[in-house]
Amino acid sequence: MNKLFLAAALTGALAVPAFAADYTIMAPAAPGGGWDQTARAMQEALQAEGISGNVQVTNVPGAGGTIGLAQFVNQFNGNPNALIVGGYVMVGAVLTNASPVSLANVTPIARLTGESDVIVVPANSELQTVDDLVAKLKADPGAVSWAGGSAGGVDHIAAGLFAKTVGVDPTTVNYIAYSGGGEALAAVLGGQVTVGISGLGEFDAQIQSGDLRALASTGAERLEGSDIPTLSEAGVELVVENWRMVAAAPGITDEQKATITADVEKLVTSATWQGILETNGWTDMFLAGDEFDAQLAADISATEAILKDIGLVQ
Amino acid sequence: MDTFGLLGEGLLAALQVQNLLYALLGVTLGTAVGVLPGIGPALTVALLLPVTYRLDPTGSLIMFAGIYYGGMYGGSTTSILLNTPGESASIVTALEGNKMARKGRGGPALATAAIGSFIAGLIATLALAFVAPWVVKAALAFGPADYFALMVLAFVTVSAAFGDSALRGITALFIGLGLGIIGIDLQTGQARLSFGIPDLLDGIEVTTLAVALFAVGETLAIASSSTSLKEEVLAVKGSVWMTLSDWKRSWPAWLRGTFIGFPIGAMPAGGAEIGTFFSYAAERKLSKHPEEFGEGAIEGVAGPEAANNASAAGTLVPLLTLGLPTSATAAIMLAGFQQFGLQPGPLLFANNAPLVWSLVASLLIANFMLLVLNLPLIGLWVRLLTIPKPWLYAGILTFATLGTLGANGAMSGRLGPIPFSFELLILLAFGILGFILRRFGYPIAPVVIGLILGPLSEQQLRRALAISQGDPGILVHSPIAITLYIIAAIALLVPFYFRLRGKGAVLQQMASDED
Amino acid sequence: MSLGEPNLSRRPDGAAFVIALVLAAIAAVIIWQTSLMRVPPIQAKVGPTVFPYVIAAGLLVLSFATAISAFRGQFPVREKINYGPIAWIVGGLLAQLLLISWAGFSIGTAVLFGFVAKGFGRGPLWLSVPIGFVLAFAIWFIFSRGLQLSLPTGPIERLVP
Repeated sequence: MNKLFLAAALTGALAVPAFAADYTIMAPAAPGGGWDQTARAMQEALQAEGISGNVQVTNVPGAGGTIGLAQFVNQFNGNPNALIVGGYVMVGAVLTNASPVSLANVTPIARLTGESDVIVVPANSELQTVDDLVAKLKADPGAVSWAGGSAGGVDHIAAGLFAKTVGVDPTTVNYIAYSGGGEALAAVLGGQVTVGISGLGEFDAQIQSGDLRALASTGAERLEGSDIPTLSEAGVELVVENWRMVAAAPGITDEQKATITADVEKLVTSATWQGILETNGWTDMFLAGDEFDAQLAADISATEAILKDIGLVQ
Repeated sequence: MDTFGLLGEGLLAALQVQNLLYALLGVTLGTAVGVLPGIGPALTVALLLPVTYRLDPTGSLIMFAGIYYGGMYGGSTTSILLNTPGESASIVTALEGNKMARKGRGGPALATAAIGSFIAGLIATLALAFVAPWVVKAALAFGPADYFALMVLAFVTVSAAFGDSALRGITALFIGLGLGIIGIDLQTGQARLSFGIPDLLDGIEVTTLAVALFAVGETLAIASSSTSLKEEVLAVKGSVWMTLSDWKRSWPAWLRGTFIGFPIGAMPAGGAEIGTFFSYAAERKLSKHPEEFGEGAIEGVAGPEAANNASAAGTLVPLLTLGLPTSATAAIMLAGFQQFGLQPGPLLFANNAPLVWSLVASLLIANFMLLVLNLPLIGLWVRLLTIPKPWLYAGILTFATLGTLGANGAMSGRLGPIPFSFELLILLAFGILGFILRRFGYPIAPVVIGLILGPLSEQQLRRALAISQGDPGILVHSPIAITLYIIAAIALLVPFYFRLRGKGAVLQQMASDED
Repeated sequence: MSLGEPNLSRRPDGAAFVIALVLAAIAAVIIWQTSLMRVPPIQAKVGPTVFPYVIAAGLLVLSFATAISAFRGQFPVREKINYGPIAWIVGGLLAQLLLISWAGFSIGTAVLFGFVAKGFGRGPLWLSVPIGFVLAFAIWFIFSRGLQLSLPTGPIERLVP
């Protein structure tokens, strides 16, 4: 058995050439998830574009990325070669899990990609517009069941903020959490819940086929060529975007931060990266420097406020 | 011509020598990695996916299908031969399969698993091609209340795995249910029973628990017992192939397993393991040799293995028609499909028919290659049992820790200055638990089953009640749920009734269940 | 099939009483921890505390039944236990646990391999640990370098480019 196994696995080994490591990217998630895909896409592009000789990806899954985040801070303090992938989900997870380590403990470099949530209803729903939804929500908040991702995640936050913005008590939002991977989609398609709220990627195909009707997207702007109105166009002043970012270790110097930022800028403008974005259907939301820091701070405080309002965080 | 013509074209493309070699390579790689305890199909596919990127689209799709089937089959091999299931879907296989292997019938057990997987894969893949759109409609009709009823039915069938004492079986189940509470509650984001330890926030990993209870617990039990240490294991007793009676007993089980597994796999929240539980319970109830169950009944391997493979093909139904990945493996396959330019979803069959058919053709070919590779290898696999115990178990623990580290290798624990992997600590702790349970005659499988079913049933029940705003009437509101409850009641009450009539003594029955 | 009660002496079983106690203790811990939980206002009827309480109640009943069963001596007869092998195997797992983060996967796993073989009566360690090292290093190379699985590295792994 060993010989066979060895021969087989060596065939695999030959397919991937090995070099010395320049960057180590931590994906605070299991292999295959969104952060892992982002980390591996960065690895591919950094190597293919010759920005870095060799890039290694490590996976540290658990608790919305907070376990990886904590390990990253402990292990790589002051290390200019260490990067971590993260995202908006982490902001909420840090709060709901009362994590001792937060995004303030790392050196954020840039926002890379992003996705808006969309609010959808089954094609045969009586709800036609955002106004209908607002009216139904105001009449009886409990009668509107929202299907989305895990409690305290971006979908839950978006639903809570929606209620709060239209003047409904966010604690009354009847949010039904589904574990990722589109279980929420099945619940909406099967008419088990009133509305679905999740990333556009989860619902896109069903919106196009006409099985679902998109009431609004939570992004700042419409997607190119899309006829889904944004919430502000529909009269609800609210923007929630789920983004993925890359951060460096704490305790690095300003020069080191500048070098990493320059490398990441090279990465995002490269043809390889743009190609990967296209294949995966990711939206480029590159934002770096002070603008990103300001955006991050704003997102963190808004998230903290709404999680307290919903009652998930004290 | 449409469907058949397109499938034929796909098959012709797949049948080129080069593509057959890719299929063989994929199956070999998948089996080699999937056979390691603790490395299930999801991790196998994730690890090997990049290897396929270097090939042309047809070749990579075929190799990918091979890896997938190889990874699935690999888990059964260790379940049968070494009593160490590599993943949750092959736990039930270990119940009868390992008993067979210990009696020198490992060859027939592996053969019925391989052929059963092939037949189930064949039927289910064809079903996927021809009835997927209708199956998915039926599957979507399942609401949380219906899923809860399904879980109730699953709980009733668990008793088939209880072994010789109902008390100890139920206790094992409740230990699993208790472990299932640990971690963040999905509906509220609140931590339960995590004792402030961040690593417990995501709960106990089913794979880690299964590998610990089975592989580590088994190692400790054998090493500490003078009799099992001396026990000579016969690799082959009688024929290494299936006898005529094996065939006769296997084929109805394969078919039943297929028809149980496929629809359950197609349900968005069905879960691959649950089909194997149902299949095992059904075989046990229907068998003409019920006395052999628990001692190595071939139906108990044939049925669940077929159900496992059919259910895997079933998960492709929501994946392809809705773009809905319903298991970890499916989520990784989705990532793979997107690399091949296949965008699963309701428009897939309309927009991308040739690719779909080449995928179906690839699955059929890979399924066939798996059989071609593994039937001749059975003689070799059973030789695993002749490896001297010290090296065999040292190797098993090496691979068990490798799989655990590979799935979650975070060095998040700390003892003084030394960081350590918390997941390995869990592996050790539950390994010791597995040893204690074995020593006192507790069955192992119900612990893992409890960990799987507990959280599923709780989430579905709470979802149902949240949607109905607290009205419990929703639980018996749909015909699907009512039907499932009636089946559960029949499964529960009929044997009980006969037992009462037959024996009279109720209390004695509670203490010693021996159906 | 056997009736599963081969303990013919039917004497009270002390170790099984301990199991009953442990089950009760687990139930107590579940109840205690659950009672500390803060239930968010949205979760009206069946909240996150219901299942834990139900399971704890079940464990209490089972603890009681186990105690009765232990009193009647209904547990299967247990073979005499050899503690030596258990110490070697648990020791091997502990050694690996504490070694791999700084000594690397290969060294930590080599010790595990050698200790387990020793537990099964095969030695000497100076032979089995190097065998384990070769195996573990080959595994590390294939999975870490070939398949990009993240496995812990130590001084020896770092020598490989």
